[in-house]
Amino acid sequence: MADYFLQHLPHWPVFAWFPDWVNVALAYVLTAAIHAALLNVVVAAGALVFIWLERKVSGRIQDRLGPTRVGGKFGWLQTLADGIKLIAKEDLMPAGADGMLFRMAPYISFGASYVAYIALPFADGWVAAPLNTGVFFILAVMGLEVFGVILGGYSSASKWSLFGAMREAAQVVSYEVPLGMCVVVPVLLCGTMDLVEIGNMQAGWFTNWLVFHDPFTFVTSIVYFTCALASVNRAPFDLAEAESELVAGFHTEYSGLRWSLFFMAEYGSMFTVSGLAAILFFGGWHGPIPITSLLGLAGNDNAFLAYVANLIGMANFIGKAVFGVTFMMWVRWTFPRLRIDQVMTTCLKYCVPIAAAMFLGVLWWTYNDLPGGAWLAAPYAERLRIESPAAAEPKTEVPAKVAVSERGV
Amino acid sequence: MQPAILPILLFVAASTGLGIVLLSVGWVFGPRRNTAVKEMPYESGMDPIHDARRRFDIRFHIVAIAFLLFDVELLFLYPWAVANRHPEGIAQAVTDKLVDDRMLVFGEVMVFIALLAAGLVYIWRKGVLRWR
Repeated sequence: MADYFLQHLPHWPVFAWFPDWVNVALAYVLTAAIHAALLNVVVAAGALVFIWLERKVSGRIQDRLGPTRVGGKFGWLQTLADGIKLIAKEDLMPAGADGMLFRMAPYISFGASYVAYIALPFADGWVAAPLNTGVFFILAVMGLEVFGVILGGYSSASKWSLFGAMREAAQVVSYEVPLGMCVVVPVLLCGTMDLVEIGNMQAGWFTNWLVFHDPFTFVTSIVYFTCALASVNRAPFDLAEAESELVAGFHTEYSGLRWSLFFMAEYGSMFTVSGLAAILFFGGWHGPIPITSLLGLAGNDNAFLAYVANLIGMANFIGKAVFGVTFMMWVRWTFPRLRIDQVMTTCLKYCVPIAAAMFLGVLWWTYNDLPGGAWLAAPYAERLRIESPAAAEPKTEVPAKVAVSERGV
Repeated sequence: MQPAILPILLFVAASTGLGIVLLSVGWVFGPRRNTAVKEMPYESGMDPIHDARRRFDIRFHIVAIAFLLFDVELLFLYPWAVANRHPEGIAQAVTDKLVDDRMLVFGEVMVFIALLAAGLVYIWRKGVLRWR
């Protein structure tokens, strides 16, 4: 999109009068603004839908109906009604609270959860900021969310909040370690941290998905999902909230829309970790059956057909991520909450050693050139072929780089 | 080449702006009738005893230190993981005679992981992982 503006902006009526550097800057700012607006809509709408979905799913699991009245048969306007109710609520702050931190904390959680979306590709090249360290960026930014929770809990001057915040700190901090180890595995296999490239390497049939690459990646994906659950503190790892023990945990003292920021941050990051799982292990925007390439849509020179292929890919990706979120809801209403000591044991005594073993297993697998299904889509198979030291002849040609990011929105 | 930091900064601003808009809507339409009772920290209906700012358990501190060690060292695995199979990574370094052998690098990483594992075993034996 930036390229489009760079090309066309100087020819538009008013802009033609501006000096070049203004137009270049405007092109980038305009692109970024459009991306930001799009993603804001996606994230906000996502939160509305997921909150409704959560109530519906939990209702059904407990043999209830869930919301049924607001907005017709399925109660799908329930979240909006809740939002309007929250607007009419008083924004309270405890007398002993640290005002600045108390007010700042929801923004940190909310901002961190939203900014992670910027590096999350929705289809081939459809990413707001094509970062070549996308995985890293998302992990780092998601890690910031915990600061909001800790600050909110600490500054509330309430004991429930403080307990919730300290639990969250210990839990999220420990689960970053196995989470990082699990994410290293796809990075190792693909030789890149660019999420668009990782996704594209799994093109083709579902056997190309990294989860089916070898037994170790299969286990890694399970460990990843466990740690992702813990890092967004969803049940059974929702010790920071623990409504049956700590009233509401870290957000006990928050009310009205200020509280809803924490809530939306939670649903936002649920989508992010599910989307990350979809890209890293479950093929990203490539469906189980490569419809787009069978029909000749993907990689087509016709811009419109390629666009349609990308739309189908986006539907695939969002479908997988929503499935991940629904799975988290299913887990939440199925398993009882763990105790804090069980949480720490699960992390450091099980997840870390298992993740490390899987990492070594994948290493062993790749170094022995064991089969990985039909893995590695054609352009990348060339690119990733490792020359053995014995046959280290001078390179004849640099492998053609597939400029994925240039095909962008 | 698009400056990568610009969209990120803009998105930080956009998300903060969305938050500010939401909260100001609440500020405009919400009631403001504050009383001393409403300002009390919630303690299940009782009058709060003591301040909430107290010392907390040393265990959290130990967990934090363990995290710092593992996570910071985990970060070093990423560059190697990228370079390992990337054609311009270790393979190129071998061709350019910057590194003698692929397996040497591999061995170094194994030593690194072994050190991490030794650390884990050590804190395990020391009882850091026992939450009592």
